[in-house]
Amino acid sequence: MIADSTLQSTGSTSPMTIPQGWYARLQLGFTAREHCTVLSHRQHAGPLLVQRPFYPEGAPCHVYLIHPPGGVVAGDHIELNASLASGTHAVITTPAATKFYRAAHGRQAVIEQHLQLNEATLEWLPQESIFFNGTAVRMRTRIDLDKSSRFIGWEMACYGRRASRETFDEGDLHQALEVWLAGKPLLLDHLRIQGGHEMQQAKWGLNGRSALGSLVAYPATTADVSAVRDLALDVQAFSCTLVDGALLCRCLCTDGAELKAMLQQVWACLRPRLLDRPAVPPRIWVT
Amino acid sequence: MRMIESQRAEQDPLALLRLCQLVSPALPVGAYNFSQGLEYAVHAGWVHDEATTQSWVLGIARHTVATLDLPLLIRMHDAWSRDNENQARYWSAYLLASRETEELRAEERHLGRSLAKVLVSLGMSDAGPWCRHEQASYACLFALAAARWLVSAEQAGQGYLWAWCENQVLAALKLLPLGQSAGQRMLNELLPCIPSLVTAATRLADEEISMASPSHGMASAWHETQYTRLFRS
Repeated sequence: MIADSTLQSTGSTSPMTIPQGWYARLQLGFTAREHCTVLSHRQHAGPLLVQRPFYPEGAPCHVYLIHPPGGVVAGDHIELNASLASGTHAVITTPAATKFYRAAHGRQAVIEQHLQLNEATLEWLPQESIFFNGTAVRMRTRIDLDKSSRFIGWEMACYGRRASRETFDEGDLHQALEVWLAGKPLLLDHLRIQGGHEMQQAKWGLNGRSALGSLVAYPATTADVSAVRDLALDVQAFSCTLVDGALLCRCLCTDGAELKAMLQQVWACLRPRLLDRPAVPPRIWVT
Repeated sequence: MRMIESQRAEQDPLALLRLCQLVSPALPVGAYNFSQGLEYAVHAGWVHDEATTQSWVLGIARHTVATLDLPLLIRMHDAWSRDNENQARYWSAYLLASRETEELRAEERHLGRSLAKVLVSLGMSDAGPWCRHEQASYACLFALAAARWLVSAEQAGQGYLWAWCENQVLAALKLLPLGQSAGQRMLNELLPCIPSLVTAATRLADEEISMASPSHGMASAWHETQYTRLFRS
């Protein structure tokens, strides 16, 4: 819905003819074999890749998404489509944070991610996006579930680079996280962050903080919400609720490390409950 | 004939009074039970006087109600005006899915179903199926009433935003030691902001529908476990 018009303008053009930005597209298809999930389809154009999948815990297929340029610049258009067939379980993460560099001439970077589950299990655990001051990005992640699917996923964002005392004074971000259940909207989270805007300091906005994350888990119950609330994470920075069978956490922190640590605790609490597997953090997170 | 009909629609002598009826706090839907996280904001000390109430209400009005509720209300008004119930249902589901906490969704559904019942009692049969509808939202039934009573989309938007501001201010008066005159001063300052926010909302494209108040949503989630509560949200 969001990037349809944008897709039309760049989607049919080959990367060669867009000198100002990369066009990258990756399609992944997972299918179930007797003892494990395999990455049976992989097709890419431009610089977005996956390493060879691996199996640190038996059946679930672990995949690292790699974006070799090391960052996203104005005019880039990145598209990811993953489809999970019946009985599959995939864990998708990234080896590092994704950096978004300052936009030139008001050009936007566009990220479109579409994850489709058909009676499948997906853990969508990319590391954080770091939006440098001045970035203009339209980013959407759409997850399509059916009632037999299970999903735990998060998206994390840092506005400006706190370590270099850079604040997000300019720029314009539209971040969308959508979860659809059997073709109907279950959660539509469309957040607009404008550089230097009053919302950054306002109590109702970012409240002076610069790292925001959301975690969604489906299907969840009030018992799952209680378990997460019982973690007693920083009450000033963390909230959890249940929206029509999906658990939704928000985490608003001063920096990305704090944000990641908190959402990893939530994931560790929910994984055994929802997916019946112990939570062993992917090793790449610690390196 | 059709032109005369449409002229009549534009100048319906009852439209203004119908809008007054629709936004009146006397309308028995129970909006006064809901604070939308304001009760938590008071508990946290974020909102503690007239100035902080004003900036809470105006901030959320500008950056969430005007950019999320209003464009959806306008779309639902358009759908009902063209008798396209499917489209109204789509945007109502969209609005509910955009409510980010259990309490905010419960409020939206409660007010939507209550308004449907009021409209049925006033003879608006279109509202019947919405009295128990899973996707009933307040904005959807508000749009239905406005469309049937020949209130324009722009006026409906102004009335909706006014009613939202008034309800927030009334909640603040219950939560804080503020008097009636402080309430009227706040509304007096909020009122002139409304027309331009509605006009801007009419121009938003689908992909521009968004919110910018994450802590407001977190306040609503925290309200769900607040120890003592006057309000249901």
